[in-house]
Amino acid sequence: MADYENREVPEGINVSPIHPLKDFALLVGGISAVILIAVVALSLLAGQFARHIPFAQERTLAASLGRWLPAAPEKPGERQRRDYLQALADGLAVNMQLPPEMTLTVHYADTDTVNAMATLGGHIVVFQGLIDTLPSENALAMVLAHEIAHVRHRDPVVAIGRGFAVALALASFSGVGDGVLQQWLGGVGMLPILSFSRAQEEAADAAALQAVLQRYGHVGDAAAFFEQVARRQSMPSGPTLLQTHPDTEKRIAAIRAFAAAHAAQTPSAARPLPAFMRAE
Amino acid sequence: MIVTNIETVPGKTIVKHLGLVNGSTVRSKHVGRDLMAGLKNIFGGELKGYTELLTESREEAMQRMIDQAKAIGANAVVNVRFSTSSVAAGAAELFAYGTAVVVE
Amino acid sequence: MFDLILFLVLLLLGFVFGQIAEKRHFKSIIEREKTLRDILVFSERRIPDEERLEGILVCGSVVVSVDFFKRFVANLRNLVGGRVSSYESLLERARREAVLRMKEEARRKGASGIWNLRLETASIYKGAAQSVGAVEVVAYGTAVRERR
Repeated sequence: MADYENREVPEGINVSPIHPLKDFALLVGGISAVILIAVVALSLLAGQFARHIPFAQERTLAASLGRWLPAAPEKPGERQRRDYLQALADGLAVNMQLPPEMTLTVHYADTDTVNAMATLGGHIVVFQGLIDTLPSENALAMVLAHEIAHVRHRDPVVAIGRGFAVALALASFSGVGDGVLQQWLGGVGMLPILSFSRAQEEAADAAALQAVLQRYGHVGDAAAFFEQVARRQSMPSGPTLLQTHPDTEKRIAAIRAFAAAHAAQTPSAARPLPAFMRAE
Repeated sequence: MIVTNIETVPGKTIVKHLGLVNGSTVRSKHVGRDLMAGLKNIFGGELKGYTELLTESREEAMQRMIDQAKAIGANAVVNVRFSTSSVAAGAAELFAYGTAVVVE
Repeated sequence: MFDLILFLVLLLLGFVFGQIAEKRHFKSIIEREKTLRDILVFSERRIPDEERLEGILVCGSVVVSVDFFKRFVANLRNLVGGRVSSYESLLERARREAVLRMKEEARRKGASGIWNLRLETASIYKGAAQSVGAVEVVAYGTAVRERR
């Protein structure tokens, strides 16, 4: 038995000498970067493709989605408001030189939501809650022009194209890892989409200001909506749409700067909203 | 370093038995290889990427075992055994162990 | 937002407690290995001085689990491939623990050495979506003691 012994084996031969935190940081950083780049590239590509979808097809697509927009109003008062909004939008469309094939359909919803939105197929929804916060027709025109600019820039169809492409790409990873990893991948993948929509908002603001300036000769009250929002922001439930929008303060500042630059025009009073637009 | 999977080293005599040495490594393949393997599952055939990965990993496990043997002053490892096991989804462990000995 | 906070808290807890547990386990393994050093272990089948000895099968096993942090890192590693270092230390611990438990059994039975040691590793996890990430290591061999 003399030639049998167990010598002590040194520690650490079977374990790779890398600090767990360093390993973690490298992996998280590297994979996040790759996903971000891939998603940005993919969504840009999908956005470019979506932009070339003819507007007529976008309208067909919107129609094929079924009843997802507010129904046509039945009360005469509501119909009167809807017609007024439609007329204002059509007027602005002329100011904005909207291509003739792009037709706008304004929907009116009698709810307290402080919001307006543009969606697929040139449909624009305006909520009574928003109208109630606005001091004049000029302010309403600014909001409408902003939504028309979205339609004109094809933002709704681009957003849907991007969302669809990214969701598809992330779904192809669905077999990888556990639920936690999935959640993380989804979170990282959605980041750039949010920030893109900020750039689109700024472009829409700029186009809307031009349209309002052309229509009324001045941009007084244009910032009214955002000033209202800034005042309301301390309230618990802010307008939901604004979450992806640029900082309200920044937008007010941009509009004021634009107003100051075009102050040479004779300052005229803002046109009031017709009485029937106010909530009963 | 002589490595065998029998009790002895042919042509030499074992003069000292130094005890157990082992080497292990855990490896995973990247998603691309997984996708390719998924395709191969349709057509059948050898999964070259996996074969390579496992061979490479087994060599590393053996190298680690040899490192342990060297560190305790052995010049051969006898009775070597390999084992492969999947630790979690997508990660495989390659493990080699044997008895470190001194031969003359 | 709540999900993210929960995730970060789990990650932090997994890292802190996982690291503490691993350090403590390694320390205890090294100490117990010292006290059991006189029981010799070989993977060879040939037992010297066989006529004076009797053999008994001894066995030791352990199931260890992966912490949240290690599992997340391993999942990430799975995307790029390569060495999963977070699992390597786990298996090293499990294996040495299994050998130690086998040696403890041999000590209880009054044996002085173990021959023909075999090690087996098995994973216990259910599906890819919610893998538990636990491994079992079994060590077994023939312990020998003086014939009575």
